[in-house]
Amino acid sequence: MDLEITREHLMLQDSARDFIKKEHSFDRLRELKKEPPLKYSRKVWKKMAKLDWLGLIYPEEYNGAQMDLSYAMALLEEFGRGMLPEPWISTVLLGGNLILSGGSKEQKKNFLPKIASGKLLMTLAYLEDGGRYDPNFCAAGAKKSGENFSISGKKIFVLDGSGADKIVVSARTSGAVDDREGITLFIIDKNADGLKIRPVKTMDGRNAASIDLNEVMVSEGDIIGEVDHGYNLMCDVIDQATAGLCAEMIGGMKATLNLTVRHLSDRIQFGKHLGSFQALQHKSADMLINQELAISAVYYAMASMVEKSDERVSAVSIAKAKCSHAYIENTKIAIQLFGAFGFTNEADIGFFFKRAKVAEILFGDCDYHYDRYLTLNRPLS
Amino acid sequence: MQISYSKNEEKFRDKVRLWLKENVSDEIKDQTLGGSSLDTELMVKWHKKLYQKGWVAPEIDKKWGGSGFSQTENFIFGYEYARSGAPRLKTKLIAIGMLTPLLLQFGTKEQQERFIPDMISGEIQWAQGYSEPDAGSDLANLSTEAVLDGDDFIVNGQKIWTSMADYAHWMFMLVRTDTSGKKQQGISFLLVDLKSPGITIRPTEALTDHEPFCEVFFDNVRVPKENLVGKINEGWNIAKVLLEHERLNAFPVGEVIAALEIVVKNAEKINFRGKPLLEDPVFRRKLAVLDVDCKAFLYTFFRILSKLQSGSAPGPETSFLKAYGAELYQRVMDLSIEVMGPYGQSWYNLKEYGNPVHQATMGWVNARSLTIWGGASEIQRTIIATQVLKLPRK
Repeated sequence: MDLEITREHLMLQDSARDFIKKEHSFDRLRELKKEPPLKYSRKVWKKMAKLDWLGLIYPEEYNGAQMDLSYAMALLEEFGRGMLPEPWISTVLLGGNLILSGGSKEQKKNFLPKIASGKLLMTLAYLEDGGRYDPNFCAAGAKKSGENFSISGKKIFVLDGSGADKIVVSARTSGAVDDREGITLFIIDKNADGLKIRPVKTMDGRNAASIDLNEVMVSEGDIIGEVDHGYNLMCDVIDQATAGLCAEMIGGMKATLNLTVRHLSDRIQFGKHLGSFQALQHKSADMLINQELAISAVYYAMASMVEKSDERVSAVSIAKAKCSHAYIENTKIAIQLFGAFGFTNEADIGFFFKRAKVAEILFGDCDYHYDRYLTLNRPLS
Repeated sequence: MQISYSKNEEKFRDKVRLWLKENVSDEIKDQTLGGSSLDTELMVKWHKKLYQKGWVAPEIDKKWGGSGFSQTENFIFGYEYARSGAPRLKTKLIAIGMLTPLLLQFGTKEQQERFIPDMISGEIQWAQGYSEPDAGSDLANLSTEAVLDGDDFIVNGQKIWTSMADYAHWMFMLVRTDTSGKKQQGISFLLVDLKSPGITIRPTEALTDHEPFCEVFFDNVRVPKENLVGKINEGWNIAKVLLEHERLNAFPVGEVIAALEIVVKNAEKINFRGKPLLEDPVFRRKLAVLDVDCKAFLYTFFRILSKLQSGSAPGPETSFLKAYGAELYQRVMDLSIEVMGPYGQSWYNLKEYGNPVHQATMGWVNARSLTIWGGASEIQRTIIATQVLKLPRK
């Protein structure tokens, strides 16, 4: 039993903190908000590549740093604490990770070094209207047409979908709309004929996209894994990204609590520090309790991922359910404790509140993960 | 990073599990798993059996009759013990969990030898005399006084909510020995024979219709000087150190998980509209929330154990175990009553009334005490706010 993070994790976090302090601020976020549609900067992204962060979990032969997922999560915790908006989860943990986990040697050679050097941004498009969060719900169809496939359909809320150079799209090659079998993963270029990317602004000021596919032609060489058998690969990668997002949420929660404690320790009303009022003390204590239980669940999920334990899918759902609840709950308390100031865009706390809502929904909300937990652990007869 | 136990730890777990499976009788399980407490005769028999096995005091050194388990073994043992349906020993919390480590740290050699072995064998039962009518959450406000007179202290005053005083032979208590300085500074720690002249014990009936605690009155009770633990007027520090000792044992996570598993078993047996209640979507959602919360609670213990094993100090994750554990247990108990439907309103004799599952409503009532004793949940939150988050006190 060992759920502790090591000195090496802490060193990586230290360097992330230094980087964020130098390259990023909440005022930068206020500026990026006005900049459609990217909401992050490719210049900062390139600098992250120089630190080996973009190839962090890829093998050395593809210019990666060959670290396990726990390091990705350590890094993401700092991104969450500092609110760094760069598209790390979508490119490294979704798009690139699909290729790492299921791609051919050639695909790995083609894509991973480019991702690691910051030249290529990728993401995954899997959500559709009518399917809520289910990755198996896939109406978008791919029809065989000679050597190629012709893909038509629509995907929604593609993470960092505006600005991605390549989008991995799940499309149905056989079976009914919600079958697990019959889903195939295709790599599609942003400039492909018949592909329309429509930017969507999310509540947290970041970017997503809806994409329309109208007979987009894809060659067999751009399929990840096997035809009809993309589902398990996709789910495994989404789970890794979910675990990563949970780590980001922990960082956000820690920052939220720090900001709140600082406010309560500084502001004076009725001749006393706000933090001395028991009504506010107990709310702060609840924030700590929510946060620490979420951290325990995330560490367990992280360790089970690294260990490739059979428990890992269930552990990810436990972690995401706890984080989804705790992060939004804590930021709601924080807004309340900050008072009117907390309701303004001048206060930094609002960034965490809105990010918490988006993160709560990303890769499935509490209800989705409770349901998934039950299906795994207490199946119906 | 690793989520599994080591080979040796697994072997240890299997050994504990097997022994408990073979030795916890259906008669015992019938009472404990239903949420009632074990009757005295059964409890004495069980204590003897466990003592012969050497497992009464897992964390205490073997030379005192304990098991000498490592911290991880102690955790595994506690977890398996709770899940097996074995009863919580009457001596567990007070005598073994609190007084023994305290005597080992602050007691004289003579006190240790005189009291610890009998405590573990179960021969001498102990009560804890802390609270008073005007000293509950504000414990330092206690006023039961002890005045030195020759070789004895003379004790006058009253203790309240004293668990097991009617059953115990001895009591450890906090008394006031000085009123001149800050109220925390004039407190001392005494060991008192409950057969001493001048002691009157009056049981109090609780909401469970049991008498789990008593009022204890002291009228010129003589207590020999050698029964003072530590130095005079330093009892408050001793009591505080004790609280820090108790963190990992602050709330037995195995008991919460065992209670939830019983809820699940009952929900399998009870039919609702032609299907087991366990398949009802509304019930399942409630169950999932508790299931997930129990897991996160369990993983918090794993986190603390990981730190203890590697020799680093646990952080804020230890501060809320008592408050959260107690509240989680109450929520599980709420669901346990809900499962029974109409039978949830019955009181005792549930089997006779034809209750289809075995679950005592008394356990639900009893759960209300958990967020009150040992530092109420509100006190726990104030401690988190001021000592962990370091919020200002004024």
